[in-house]
Amino acid sequence: MTDRTRSVPPKASERLRRLLVVVPYLVRHPGTSVEEATELFGISEQDLLADLDLLFVSGLPPYGPGDLIDVDIQDGRIWIGMADYFARPLRLTRAEALAIYVRGAGLAAVPGLDEAPALASALGKLAAGLGPEALGELPERVETASAGAEVETLGELRRAAAEHERLMIEYYAASAAETTAREIDPEEIFFEIGHWYVVAWDQRSDAERLFRADRIRSVTRTGERFEPRGLRGAGRALYTPGRDDVAVTLRLDPAARWVAEYYETVRETELDDGRLEVELPAGRLEWLERLLLRLGTDAEVVAPQGLRDRVRELAGRTLRRYA
Amino acid sequence: MRRAMHPLERLVNLVALLLESPTPLTFDRIREKLAEGYGHADPSSAKRMFERDKDILRDIGVPIEVVSVDVWDVEHGYTIDKATYYLPDIAFSPEEISALFVAVRSTGDPSAEDAVRKLLSTSEEGLLSGLGGGPAGGGQDPNLGQAADAVAGQRRVRFSYRTSRGERSDRDVDAFGLAVRGGHWYLVGLDRDRGGIRSFRLSRVSGALETAGEGSAPPDGFRAADHVLAGPWGPGEPETTATVAFSPGVAWWASRDVANAEVVGTRDDGWVEVRVPWQPGESLASWVLSFGPEAEAVDPSELRAEVVGALEALVRG
Repeated sequence: MTDRTRSVPPKASERLRRLLVVVPYLVRHPGTSVEEATELFGISEQDLLADLDLLFVSGLPPYGPGDLIDVDIQDGRIWIGMADYFARPLRLTRAEALAIYVRGAGLAAVPGLDEAPALASALGKLAAGLGPEALGELPERVETASAGAEVETLGELRRAAAEHERLMIEYYAASAAETTAREIDPEEIFFEIGHWYVVAWDQRSDAERLFRADRIRSVTRTGERFEPRGLRGAGRALYTPGRDDVAVTLRLDPAARWVAEYYETVRETELDDGRLEVELPAGRLEWLERLLLRLGTDAEVVAPQGLRDRVRELAGRTLRRYA
Repeated sequence: MRRAMHPLERLVNLVALLLESPTPLTFDRIREKLAEGYGHADPSSAKRMFERDKDILRDIGVPIEVVSVDVWDVEHGYTIDKATYYLPDIAFSPEEISALFVAVRSTGDPSAEDAVRKLLSTSEEGLLSGLGGGPAGGGQDPNLGQAADAVAGQRRVRFSYRTSRGERSDRDVDAFGLAVRGGHWYLVGLDRDRGGIRSFRLSRVSGALETAGEGSAPPDGFRAADHVLAGPWGPGEPETTATVAFSPGVAWWASRDVANAEVVGTRDDGWVEVRVPWQPGESLASWVLSFGPEAEAVDPSELRAEVVGALEALVRG
């Protein structure tokens, strides 16, 4: 049981946990800069220096000058001596061992990742080094369910982004269900929720566009260089609201509720009849027409008015294939 | 002059003392050696302070053991076994440790971050320079740690789950495995009430996973990924195949969008016929419809009728 009335402020245990991680690193990497230490261990310079301040009045009995841990900070670099017993870190807790393994396995699942081979061997060493008492059945039981085919163009896209080379691509636009040729200036390739994306300047629309890498059918070099515009890659929102966005309101039957999980919504309301009313912003309506076509009678269009007619027209056009 | 020892200093000294002592130490000996920490108070409050410190150390994973120090089992001593305390040295290459660093960096999972930082110390060569922010390999599911724990220990868990159709129910599951698909984590296991293996997307679990004792071993040849494999035919293994024709601009994409799709041939009008896995009664029709007039369900007639029926319902409004 944890004693709620403990006299030691909870912060001391947090600081100890941190210290037992940072100190071994500093002992084994003499002369590490304060800057590097704060970055690696996600700790402020002030906190780090305060911890080290206490460390050098600590040590072994009888706590004479020769028994205390030696901390030397000079020109922004740190040396720690007389602390051989802290030269190796505390073992991983069960939660830590499981967390790092499962997070590593999660990243290893990303297709086309540069780090994948190193990660796979790291996970192997981790499982062997920590042993079954730490990881139990886990290494045998975490798997990747492939989300799709390998993206063969990834290497070429990365190269072009690094060298600022303009590319001709054949791209499948799901919104219009068509493949078109485009000229793009690829700036960054990044992975987000299951897919690789290319953020690029699209010459045809003269605007920033996000392309899903697996929908790029072919890549042709142009030999032309471009000046990067500093487009934002990893961490950006996949959908950027625009001024011309139309607010679309739909009522979804249970079978169509996945729409609310899959697309970004600005409002979700549970209705008394068990349906979910969602509002989603849309720049163009083509993709919504196709979405509604596949949802059929499981979705009802509330707004805008014209969307319902457009879906009906599309359904009629599709039906003619079966005449 | 006696100064009040900072709690952190006392804790650091206690760890050092017990790690370096060749024999277990009784509390009286600890009090003697660490006089500044425990010596100033009366014995009973000093003992309480020590007990609290011991709990703190155990909380953060320091393995303090209590052993008998006399044959009559009257006196107890405290010790920290070095072999248990220290992280075993694992010789990671800079590439490997960097890959692990990248893997946890964007997850916001404090346990994983602490773990990789401990591992950093064991790598003599350090990290590769110029590490960028890594891609997110999975969602920030708060229940992932507990799910991993249940899988590792082959345990049974209870939780409240909302299906993609929005139906909520309580589940009682023997945890078999974890799989990641499309950036989402899934717990796969034996659903005791439904009597079959099911997969649960962790982001749809509401509240926490509650451990409910021992689970059971998965069947031979079990692979978690097999149970979250899903395509237009729905989850699980499709039973048979269907043929769908696509316009030239769409065919290349349609045939790679589905695992195990196979191009059968090209028609005179340039349309490409593709054979795709199919499970009757499931949602392949919906996938075909997502291509609008650029796709046509060819056979079986059952699928064709499903597509036509859906379109007619839409045209009627």
